[in-house]
Amino acid sequence: MSSVPSLPRCLCLALPLWLLPLGGAAAPASADLNQAWGALADNRLAEAQRVLGAAPSTRPAQLAWAVAEMTRPPVTEAHRRAAERVFQELARGDDEVGAQAEYLRARLHQLHDVPADETGAAGLYRALAARRPHSHWAQLGLVKLALLELYRRPDPADAAADRLAPAEAALAQIEEPALRRDLHLQIGQAGVALQQPLGRLLPHLVAADRLGGLTSAAREDLIVQIGVLSLRAGQLDQAQAYFARYLQDYPANTRAYTVTQLQEQIRRRRAQESAP
Amino acid sequence: MNGRLRHLGLVLAALGYAWALGWVFTRSAPVVASRPVTIRFAHWQIEQGPPDGMKAVIRRYEELNPRVKVEQVLVPGRIYNQWLRTNLVGGTGVDLVEYGVWLDGMTDIPARYFEPITDQMLRPNPYNRGTPLEHVPWVQTFTDGLQYQRVNAPSPGQFYCATMTEVSERLFCNQELLRAILGSDRTPQTFAELRALFPQVTAYAARTGRPIFALAGSRDNASWLLQFLLQGCMMQVSQRNDRYGSLALYNWDALGHYLEGRWSYRLPEARAGLTMMREVSVNMKQGFVQSLRDAATQEFLRGDAVFIFAGTWDGTSLRSQATFPVEVLRFPQPTPSDPVMGPYLYGRFADGGGGTAMEFYLNKLSAHPQEAVDFMHFMTSVEGSQLFTNHSGWLPATRTVQVPPAIRPYYTPLDCYSFGAEYMMIGASVNMAIMRNFHLLVGPQGSVDRFVDAMEAVMPAAARTDLYKEMTNRSLIVRPQDVRLMALAALGRRAPQNAALVLARERLECAQTQSEALMLKMARQLADAGPVK
Repeated sequence: MSSVPSLPRCLCLALPLWLLPLGGAAAPASADLNQAWGALADNRLAEAQRVLGAAPSTRPAQLAWAVAEMTRPPVTEAHRRAAERVFQELARGDDEVGAQAEYLRARLHQLHDVPADETGAAGLYRALAARRPHSHWAQLGLVKLALLELYRRPDPADAAADRLAPAEAALAQIEEPALRRDLHLQIGQAGVALQQPLGRLLPHLVAADRLGGLTSAAREDLIVQIGVLSLRAGQLDQAQAYFARYLQDYPANTRAYTVTQLQEQIRRRRAQESAP
Repeated sequence: MNGRLRHLGLVLAALGYAWALGWVFTRSAPVVASRPVTIRFAHWQIEQGPPDGMKAVIRRYEELNPRVKVEQVLVPGRIYNQWLRTNLVGGTGVDLVEYGVWLDGMTDIPARYFEPITDQMLRPNPYNRGTPLEHVPWVQTFTDGLQYQRVNAPSPGQFYCATMTEVSERLFCNQELLRAILGSDRTPQTFAELRALFPQVTAYAARTGRPIFALAGSRDNASWLLQFLLQGCMMQVSQRNDRYGSLALYNWDALGHYLEGRWSYRLPEARAGLTMMREVSVNMKQGFVQSLRDAATQEFLRGDAVFIFAGTWDGTSLRSQATFPVEVLRFPQPTPSDPVMGPYLYGRFADGGGGTAMEFYLNKLSAHPQEAVDFMHFMTSVEGSQLFTNHSGWLPATRTVQVPPAIRPYYTPLDCYSFGAEYMMIGASVNMAIMRNFHLLVGPQGSVDRFVDAMEAVMPAAARTDLYKEMTNRSLIVRPQDVRLMALAALGRRAPQNAALVLARERLECAQTQSEALMLKMARQLADAGPVK
């Protein structure tokens, strides 16, 4: 004979567990929270949750617990849902933790749902940007939202639609230079994929380069790419400048030979143009 | 009697104790380890050369670091994939792992098990103190700046590994045999000259009754050659398809382009490469497609083949075991007048070209990540790399290392084009399909048409599978990056003076955004292509 016949027994048992992360146990000390975030930075999820305890009470500790829960192996729908419940609750707050939680809700929809719920994610990114436009997480969310819009299918019914315009509009709202750089780069790359005119996409790639800070293959690719696309667009001075920079920075790369041949091509074109 | 027995028992017990003591101190592992930290690294380069090279590196490193013991684990290539996956899954993987992006069915490994070493790569290698590379960021101390590894990094903008050697592909020539056949030492300089040599080798074999072939054959050596020829013949296609202007096609590019109908093995350019492969393969021993590289090496070392097309990774074995002088040549390339490839020739194509290999990755689960990275620093330092080069006979991957004259021909000068794509190892499924159908091209009843028909029947599905895999592999990386980003932000808030945390977060956000853009691009390509019809 159950005292709560309207609820299934398993739910009765599980309910208190759901509420644990939001419960009222003792708050972990600041040092513990640091230790937990340190463990999370190294992908030691179980250790982070052990440090935080089963029922952290402060908002930052609850966020850390749910962040670990989000990808804790074995990755299950139950873990994902438990994390989302905490994020949803925390997102009501008007602080940095709230912004992070709101951002992470969108990430769950975009990357962790199977199949991905991109429409839901886009809605959450938009809501976050509307509520806290100057938060870093809202700004990062705008970059992610712009990506979703750039590669959205099906294409707009209007064939002449400017595919880059929505992302460019998002650019106007982004204040942080590193995020502006990332979005410029992605607008430029998507411009190529979506076969937009060179005149529309090249300035974005140049802007990404000027903002600086790219590393590894992304930087090398961008320098050679601006050179080649500038050459195709007939902007010979810009092409020459980027090719020279490429050879200076990456003299031993196999692409260096092709770049020297393209420089030769520019010289020949210039000679032809200046011939009487 | 009892006293005597008791006495004998005591003597036996004392003898047993003495024997046990002797065993413990002379035969078994030390009771107390003299070196508290042991790190292990594994690789499949069990050819002659590299194990000795690495042994020399270890010896010196252990002199410099008395608390660390380094163990080299040699694993034969045939079982490497299974061995590696089993150990990584079981949490018993070694600290440093050799990995190559071409390993069949292993594309998820880096995302799951390897740790980026980006921060270290952007700082100087401490073991280069007192050398010309003292103040140079680690990544720039490699002769190629880790170009292939950056291109294939599971997360764009991140560094994951360090390399030990520079590789190229060469034609190794049995000079004595060539002289016996031609009456001169002149080696072929163009593909036309190589083609002219083939009937002379056949005639010599018939005349002497010896089983002599122009090239030593095996499935491995022939597939390297096919890769090289296809890459060369398809360069105009690669250049045409280089929409992004990056002068290099990534695997996902080649797969996406296939789904968009931008290339296929039916293209005249591809058929030219396949035709040349067929032409060369009929000058190899019949049935070679059943054998692996060791068989080709043995054939060449027995003096039964004039040439062997191999990577410089086989150079030390070939040259040290041969009883005849071995000359190292660049593969003779076609000229514009070549009847097969001439119409499609873009220019001289790369037969190596500065890429470095034998790359070691840091296992995410390493118990001693700091020591493992420290050993990576040493093995790729000027001193470590010099030791490796001197003892292995392999080219160094580190700048300023002195290269012995004997291996200088392995270098590929910057005189050739490379667009990256070689239209074979662009994905596990595509590569497997090629190897499964290879006999239709090079077998006795083979032909270009048979191979092309078989490949085009399976390519639509194989390309989709591989592109989907490229996409899902990235999602394995992108998801946990959210965790790390949140952690870096939280730690940064608690230590606002630590600029490194802000920089690390910005870099990770940048890399993650690039990965996500790529995933969306691939998803779009797959959606546009639709299911296989």
